[in-house]
Amino acid sequence: MSLLLDIFTVVAVSLGAVFFLAGAVGLLRFPDTLTRLHALTKADNVGLGLIVLGLLPQTERPLAAVKLIVAWLLVQLASGTVSQLIARTARRTEPPA
Amino acid sequence: MTPADGNATRRAVFARAVGFIVLWLALAGPAPADLPAGVVAAAAATWVSLRLVPPSAWRVRPAALARFVVRFLVQSVIAGVDVARRALDPRLPLRTGFVSYAPHLPPGPAQSAFCTLTSLLPGTVPCGTDDSGALVIHCLDVDQFVASQLAKEETLFVHACGGDRDND
Repeated sequence: MSLLLDIFTVVAVSLGAVFFLAGAVGLLRFPDTLTRLHALTKADNVGLGLIVLGLLPQTERPLAAVKLIVAWLLVQLASGTVSQLIARTARRTEPPA
Repeated sequence: MTPADGNATRRAVFARAVGFIVLWLALAGPAPADLPAGVVAAAAATWVSLRLVPPSAWRVRPAALARFVVRFLVQSVIAGVDVARRALDPRLPLRTGFVSYAPHLPPGPAQSAFCTLTSLLPGTVPCGTDDSGALVIHCLDVDQFVASQLAKEETLFVHACGGDRDND
């Protein structure tokens, strides 16, 4: 059982890392600020979600699992809020592509 | 304010304060020495939340909210896969542009919450409002049906939060 859970952790965390990689590639390849925001907020959000999901079976106390999930939710909230603020500023200062 | 309103407000204050204390305990751990800081933080958070989202304005429908959350999770995975696919594709398939969307929600905390959710949905990042008050949405692919998609999301969001009860 613990082997299965370990395999689950490795698969989920690796998949999460792939999404972080894709987000970073998007950050480098996408043409302007607004498009790069899409790459960062959405790909990293799924990447972090998968890493949290993968780490959940490894927690020793239920409180640690709650903490992981809360951290993910707070990051989601922050990235959703900050991406809008950056997008507003970018639209005002950058000529539309 | 009628006595019933007063009771509802007290219940809301109590529920929120307890919620913030639990959140603090989950994040910081149950060390007694840290508790005073947690109580102060929870009190401040409760005060801010009451100012930003006054109690009893909207009543959440749990079943509709659960459906919305599941749908939102699925959508945000689709969003991540979509943007990852575009980033890794050698041809870099993008048709970026702006779409304006007139929300049914009036400007305020509810509209802001909806915008924040929108920024995690596939292909859309809201970037402010235009002169008419419509949201300006930056899209990865303007060929997708962005406006109709957003209208659907907004309806589900308002329904989940019980907002369509008071606005009739």
